[in-house]
Amino acid sequence: MTNAPNAITAAGLRIGYGRNTIVTDLDLTLPGGRVTAIVGPNACGKSTLLRGLARLIAPETGTVTIDGDDVHRMSARALARRLGLLPQQPTAPEGISVEALVRLGRYPHQRTLRPWSPADTAAVENALARTGTAALRDLPVDHLSGGQRQRAWIALALAQDTPLLLLDEPTTFLDLRHQIDVLDLVSELNATADRTVVMVLHDLGQAARYADHLVVMRDGAPAATGAPADVLTAELVEDVFGVPCRVVPDPETGTPLVVPRASARHRRS
Amino acid sequence: MTALATDTAPAARRLGAIARQRRRVAVLTLAGLALLAAAILAGICLGENILTPGRALNALFLGTGDRGEVLLVGRFRTPRVLSAVIAGAGLAVAGAVLQRVARNPLASPDVVGITGGASLGATAAVALGLAAPLTPLAALGGGLCAATILGLLAVQLDGSHASPRLKGGINPTRLVLVGLAVQAGLTAAVNLFIVRFPAELASSALHWTTGSLYGRNWNETIVGAIATTAALTAAFALHRRAAVLDLGDDAAGALGVRPGTARLQLLAAAVVLASLAVALTGPVGFVALAVPHLVRRLAGPPTAGTLALNALAGALLLLTADLVAQHALPLDGLPVGVVTATLGAPFLLALLARQNRPDPRTVR
Repeated sequence: MTNAPNAITAAGLRIGYGRNTIVTDLDLTLPGGRVTAIVGPNACGKSTLLRGLARLIAPETGTVTIDGDDVHRMSARALARRLGLLPQQPTAPEGISVEALVRLGRYPHQRTLRPWSPADTAAVENALARTGTAALRDLPVDHLSGGQRQRAWIALALAQDTPLLLLDEPTTFLDLRHQIDVLDLVSELNATADRTVVMVLHDLGQAARYADHLVVMRDGAPAATGAPADVLTAELVEDVFGVPCRVVPDPETGTPLVVPRASARHRRS
Repeated sequence: MTALATDTAPAARRLGAIARQRRRVAVLTLAGLALLAAAILAGICLGENILTPGRALNALFLGTGDRGEVLLVGRFRTPRVLSAVIAGAGLAVAGAVLQRVARNPLASPDVVGITGGASLGATAAVALGLAAPLTPLAALGGGLCAATILGLLAVQLDGSHASPRLKGGINPTRLVLVGLAVQAGLTAAVNLFIVRFPAELASSALHWTTGSLYGRNWNETIVGAIATTAALTAAFALHRRAAVLDLGDDAAGALGVRPGTARLQLLAAAVVLASLAVALTGPVGFVALAVPHLVRRLAGPPTAGTLALNALAGALLLLTADLVAQHALPLDGLPVGVVTATLGAPFLLALLARQNRPDPRTVR
């Protein structure tokens, strides 16, 4: 599994803000061509880890490699052609249209003397079509609904056309319909292009359903990693999230579904 | 069949947002160029001795006609007009770049201290009795020094807060706050010079610090034109980087733009442009602040095309303001800076009033 291309590996990674260390001595390999979900309680370092993997923040120690290539030795553009990241709740510039936003995804592929190519147009059209935002292309991003906006940003990341895609809480603030749309899109992107997808999620059931590989974080280090069915146990969830629960098979998919135990007042009599 | 029709028809039938904006920018650019040509023509024809356009152009390009007219047009009016065009374009683009990088509509070289530094440099040069041609150089030096101080202070203050997202970069809000302080200090220093120095030097310095196009010569104009063109080219070359930077530091970083470096490059271009303009004209206010707002309102969100429109509109505004100062007002020898400042004060107030109105879309 780890031999598939576009695997990303962190070794001895330690990341902090000033004296405040967020990610501590982390060793992790995220398999190539698979969907990995990172879950964990708030402030456990999920986003920081993602930003560290994407080189948006310099680690104090340790390395991040993509198929053995050190990301800190690559030029910013070269890295941006291999790895894309959708930040948590990104803000679009005022008044920018969906198409103009998505076009910015082509930046790492453009050169000074050859600003825009047919390949860029093709990538933008493909990204708009696959995210269902082609009809919205002329609308200002700040006029869109939350779900539409998120799809426009995913289209930008798609236009970037990287074999590795990191998504920081892509479903936050979306209603159920849009959450499922986004997650289905992610798994389709993974299936059709063999993209490596790494996403931070909050919903454990969704993580188990959509991810091949699960990383449960606690206090800046992985508490458990592996296939969701092996990792998500009642003991682990209680241990990491402090919530007593039962883990039952998802009636739709058979993947683990975490059901918190009810307090006495709510229990079925 | 129908699916195909609905897929391709809209693109052919009506223009998309990007194409629409491009067309709008093209129309505005053509209109701006026509107006600028008219203003340039007015600039070389008007004066105490009014010439017909034909005579003025003959005198300028062919050197034919009355010797006095050739001298008047070639030596005095043309450098003045060209200085206004260069400085106006530079100021407007500097303002557009600063406002964009600082993500603050009030950021402009006259607010963040660059103009103050350039003024201090020039005033010091006058007060120390340096030869007149050195005044613009001193202004350039002063502007760059002020920008460096500003940058160091802004980064320094950032570091004390250990804000990791901005390591090596500059926090937009802090930039403006520190800039205001720098500008206030520099203005005080300029005033000190003017009060403390001999009367004849002081009045010369005072005249310079109000912003004036009076007595520009070819040397200054040509040097200013070459340097400004180079800095404008840099600003345009950095345009796509600025567009990516608009997405926020994380999104920009993920697209291969290092936010701190890109911000410094853009700031450097803006500082050089503003200092060059101040070197040429003195600290003319309002242009750098207002033109980007005006252009945005007319032409929509920033693109490379709107950046060019900024240059055009800045040139047009400064040149028109100078024509008004020279010819339309009954006061003799009114510096152009007074005209732009008179326009600028109410504009700034209106902008502040709009800023204070809560707009949910601008809350970040």
